[in-house]
Amino acid sequence: MLWLAWRQFRVQAYVALSLLAVLAVVLGVTGTTLVHVYDTVVRSCSAHGDCGPVTGSFEQRDHLLLISLTSFVVVVPALIGVFWGAPMIARELEDRTYRLAWTQSVSRTRWVSVKLALVGLSGVAVAGLLSLMVTWWSSPIDTVNANPYGIFEVRNIVPIGFATFAFALGVTAGVLIRRSVPAMAATLAGFAVVRLAFNRWITFRLIAPLHVLTAFQSPFSSGSLSKVNGVPNPADMVISDQTIDRAGHVIGQSGGVGPNGNFGFSRLSDGVTELVGVGRCPNKFPALKIATGINQNGGPPTTAMARAARECIDHFHLRSLVTYQPIDRYWSFQWYEMIIYLVLALLFATFSWWWVRRRLS
Amino acid sequence: MIWLAWRQFRAQAYVAAGVLIAVAIAFLLTGPQLVHSYDTIVLTCRAHGDCSPVLASFLARDHLLRDLALAVILVPALVGIFWGAPLVAREMENGTFRMAWTQSVTRSRWIAIKLGVVATAVMAAAGLFSLMITWWSSPFDTINSDPFSVFDLRDIVPVGYAAFAFALGVTMGVLIRRTIPAMVATLVAFTAIRVAFTEWVRPRLMSPLHYTGAFLLNQNGPNEVPGKGQVRDWVVSSLILNKKGVAIGSNGGIGPNGEINFQPGAHGGTTLVGVGTCPTTIPPPTSTGVSSGPAPLNVQRAVQKCLNSFHLKEVLTYQPASHYWTLQWYEMAIFIVFAVVLAGFSWYWVRRRLS
Repeated sequence: MLWLAWRQFRVQAYVALSLLAVLAVVLGVTGTTLVHVYDTVVRSCSAHGDCGPVTGSFEQRDHLLLISLTSFVVVVPALIGVFWGAPMIARELEDRTYRLAWTQSVSRTRWVSVKLALVGLSGVAVAGLLSLMVTWWSSPIDTVNANPYGIFEVRNIVPIGFATFAFALGVTAGVLIRRSVPAMAATLAGFAVVRLAFNRWITFRLIAPLHVLTAFQSPFSSGSLSKVNGVPNPADMVISDQTIDRAGHVIGQSGGVGPNGNFGFSRLSDGVTELVGVGRCPNKFPALKIATGINQNGGPPTTAMARAARECIDHFHLRSLVTYQPIDRYWSFQWYEMIIYLVLALLFATFSWWWVRRRLS
Repeated sequence: MIWLAWRQFRAQAYVAAGVLIAVAIAFLLTGPQLVHSYDTIVLTCRAHGDCSPVLASFLARDHLLRDLALAVILVPALVGIFWGAPLVAREMENGTFRMAWTQSVTRSRWIAIKLGVVATAVMAAAGLFSLMITWWSSPFDTINSDPFSVFDLRDIVPVGYAAFAFALGVTMGVLIRRTIPAMVATLVAFTAIRVAFTEWVRPRLMSPLHYTGAFLLNQNGPNEVPGKGQVRDWVVSSLILNKKGVAIGSNGGIGPNGEINFQPGAHGGTTLVGVGTCPTTIPPPTSTGVSSGPAPLNVQRAVQKCLNSFHLKEVLTYQPASHYWTLQWYEMAIFIVFAVVLAGFSWYWVRRRLS
């Protein structure tokens, strides 16, 4: 049976192996240069006090390769599910080839177990190797970027969980739908939905997030475009940033007022300036300097304007409640997410195993 | 025959129509509100002299939907894989083409109508999807003001991509005659052609403009045409020339990857790596560790002074924003021509070569 399963899977295995080999060569050649440049250029730039342009240009290196690698890691689990998982049993049902296998000395149980194990473990190996290579290759760039949560799903061990789950989902879709192409489409749609939902609503709520309450920092008053979140480490992941008024009610999101985090002043007809959504400012604002020219952003506010804005904001005693996940939980989340996907995969695989044994005519 | 083609295509058409309707509802619910708050908040914020915080918070809106809007880049590939590749390959694999061919329908008619019905649906679906996304994200695009960064996702090029992906899928199916391998081949070929076209052909579709000026160290990277005040232009390449006019670097720095890098030389001087020794000394560091924050002003000034002493020149090659629509039309037309050629080939192959 193992021989049959291998013969049926051979072409796909060769395709995957050769792709991995090509990738290994490309990454091996460019990766050593990258590490070398990092050690010589980026490490030593701090001795000259100015790392801005150096890290900026370091991030520009191999930009196309980095983007393609990231999209590979995103796409490969889906491809394993669509092209390995979905047709594995659906094609046999469609072409009636399963009848030949089942009328030999091989039991259904054995047939489906061997197929699941061989192709499934190959999927795990491919995803694991790919993620390992990409994680190694991009580690200098990731160190410079210093934002591990931004690339949480395309590094380290979670891609293994995704690939296993996608494969099991594909097999289940194939067993239930019994036709390859619709099963492939269903696998793709199902996998995309689960991944998106998980990323948005589940992963970073697995451990209760931390909170930090600070005085409201308006970008108007700091003069800087990037708002200071008040999280202890800039690499922490901000889950929500609520604006709270004097009475303790939540009046806004994302560092602003209102559900979309807009923040602005508006001049009313009687000459009083209003903090939109909060109330009328007690102080007067300086006369307007109309921004002219092409720069839409208008540059930083004048000091007089910033002071007036600060005074008005302080008057309302606004505070920011930031909910975040600290950076030292990175590995816990990696393990949790991978294990959950592996458990889901196991459930789906067991279900299709049972369905083939009991329900398939 | 049209009836048969429609019956075979029905399920896929319903799925596509369902997705389009869902997207339309989501956009109709959020879109007018978006335009309204753009008109009220963003347009009036200029009267207060400072738009950056307002714009930043406006750009944080509707993140989920904006991520979904990125799906427009996947739609052509999905069309090619799930509509194009199985169109003929499945009939070959299952032998169902025999049934059709032994009726009163000729092979040419069979393939022509199949191609015609599905291709029309493909282009209509891609066009509608792109139209909706272009309309919905227009407030964001106006603020981002970099039309070339969303060139592949807006306006008319997605129609060309979808038509091409579909024709490519049909061709692969006709040649390979097995559904799943044809689907894989379609995915690989389509991705390769799209990437190659974006990287190497699109910048050369129209002859780009050039800008030459003194090399200024830019903390924000090279993606700006200085002096023009236009961030809407698309910088295709930027070269650094030395005094003799020889290219010694690109992407706003020295060397092929655009690095600007100083090393302490002998006698306490500083060397600009790849160029020569600075006439001035760069002040000693004040910070430690790898930080990407801007350097102190005196360091920036010393660095610029050292750069000036070498009389480096920067040559930018760019496509101005005014080329946007011409490039859109060219690119769409080219992909449509590809699609017509491939469709013609599969039509010929089915008529003459397929047993």
